[in-house]
Amino acid sequence: MNFATFILRRLGLAIFVLLGVAVITFTLSHLVSSDPLVAWLGRASGNPVLAAEYIQRYHLNDPLYVQFGYYLFALLHGDLGFSVFKGEPVSEALLQTLPFTLQIAFCAILLTLAIGIPLGVLAARYHHTVVDYSISGFYLAGIASPYFLLALFLLVILTYTFHLLPSGGAFSPGIREPYPITNFPLIDCLIEGRWSAFLDGVTHLIMPSLALALGIFGYITRVLRASILDVLHANYIRTARAKGVDETTLFFKHALRNASIPVVTLASIVVTWLVTGTLFVEVIFAYPGIGQYAVQALSNLDYPSLLAITLVLAVIIVLSNLTADVLYAVVNPEIRLR
Amino acid sequence: MKSNGSQESRRFLRLFLARNEARLGLSIVTVFLAISFVIAFTGKSLLPYNPIEQNVGPVLASPSAAHLFGTDNLGRDVFSRILFATPNDLLVSFIVITSSFAVGIVLGGIAGFWGGILDEILMRSTDVIFAIPALVLAMSIAVILGPGLVHMTYALMIIWWPPYARLARGEALQVSQRNFIEAAKTSGTSTLTILRRHLIPNILTSMLAYATLDIGTVVVVYAGLSYLGLSVQPPTPDWGSMVNAYQDYLVSAPWLPLVPAITIAAVVIGFSLLGNALRDALESQRIS
Repeated sequence: MNFATFILRRLGLAIFVLLGVAVITFTLSHLVSSDPLVAWLGRASGNPVLAAEYIQRYHLNDPLYVQFGYYLFALLHGDLGFSVFKGEPVSEALLQTLPFTLQIAFCAILLTLAIGIPLGVLAARYHHTVVDYSISGFYLAGIASPYFLLALFLLVILTYTFHLLPSGGAFSPGIREPYPITNFPLIDCLIEGRWSAFLDGVTHLIMPSLALALGIFGYITRVLRASILDVLHANYIRTARAKGVDETTLFFKHALRNASIPVVTLASIVVTWLVTGTLFVEVIFAYPGIGQYAVQALSNLDYPSLLAITLVLAVIIVLSNLTADVLYAVVNPEIRLR
Repeated sequence: MKSNGSQESRRFLRLFLARNEARLGLSIVTVFLAISFVIAFTGKSLLPYNPIEQNVGPVLASPSAAHLFGTDNLGRDVFSRILFATPNDLLVSFIVITSSFAVGIVLGGIAGFWGGILDEILMRSTDVIFAIPALVLAMSIAVILGPGLVHMTYALMIIWWPPYARLARGEALQVSQRNFIEAAKTSGTSTLTILRRHLIPNILTSMLAYATLDIGTVVVVYAGLSYLGLSVQPPTPDWGSMVNAYQDYLVSAPWLPLVPAITIAAVVIGFSLLGNALRDALESQRIS
């Protein structure tokens, strides 16, 4: 199989999966209530004007397969229904909240790698010593923690004990939020050239991201450690050693580089965890992202928002899996030749 | 493969218990299971205080001999509340894992053994379910079913089986190509007998380690749903919902939200240690 065929197959699979997810959300929208209007309008379905408009727009009196067709058509055009509690279309609310979550996710991935990789290297370098055992205890505790525990711990330690970081929000109360240009608040701060606002935003970003990273870095550490130990037994390492390559170069240049490849396969686990964890972390840190939006929608029984969020999160996961697959094929030619 | 089973299993048990993590995990799990059984059979009668009754002590008292984990904002004993909620998480996990195990082994076994279009359909549907985070999907289903312990169990049962089906399929595929299955086929053994005698036992062992590890995952996800107010309703205590109810007291009484959260982590650590040790022991047994 050549590279292009491989990519095309993966792309086809991704589209198929997304179609499947749409089938699930469509089914859920019909299970929410006997009246499909509720799934599009929530509590506003009593409003005769809106009701008439939505019945006509989504052909809600037609057979199910016709409705599904119009549902897909609407999704492809970014029409995700109307959120009554937000007082705006769901797509608008998503556009405002998603960038905040992507900021957290980006920062959390950086922190996950920054913690996970060095600890994995250390654990492999000093395997079966106290260092190795302490590291495995540390990551086991992280993996075992429920989504909210690490966030609460960080709050107690970093905010209430040492007063190092703010307890929540995206910006401090006195700071004016930037004018939405890219919709990413931190980038917009930079565009406006307000360094102090940017730094303020970053300090508000650290704890939520750290809470997520501490829960997930263990997977990276565990896989990297095992992978390094595997690679160190490989023949080419023995050859390099026999040629007189010194141990440090051997470890970092020859072993680590090849041992990093399996880490890419963790992308799916990491992204799924981040997406779930952000629900709790954003609520605890009052961060106005998609997680907080989801929890608000849940307590307001705002079905259109909930179904749309489910869909958006699935899209994020599918896209990141696709990226990881492609990346894996790029760094590891073996996989696409099989 | 199944000859002199008792001797083999005794050897396996010795191998397994030689590991520190196995013993630690087993003790943690045993303690929580014991508490669950006692609570399930005796209810509130053996607890130091009634977990629901208010003002059994001063409000927001720090941990002390009288109140091991202190008291909450309504003067309820937190230790009694934690103990009383123990069966919830464990029961949900066991039901969800058992049903996923059963569904997974049937679907995965069939798909792996016969292959073809059945296999394709199963694998693609698991792909779809994997694309939605378990907690988010459970949340959507929970909204439809309404809150409550039983509904949460249903929601988790609906979404939890795909990894088991995949695991069973992979094992079935591998096992069905091995020589002893081929030998059984040529010697005229019926398909059903092959499944029952050879395939299922082989799949079971490798799935068991995964299931043990997975109990902890169900506990975490269930605690998350409970935290979001989707499970047991107040005043009945539940670990996840307790964290949510108490997190406003993080400054004045940090033990209130931390104790239930750490309890959840302890259960998960117990099952992780047990599952890891089980997997390692199974692997080293396979090699030998």
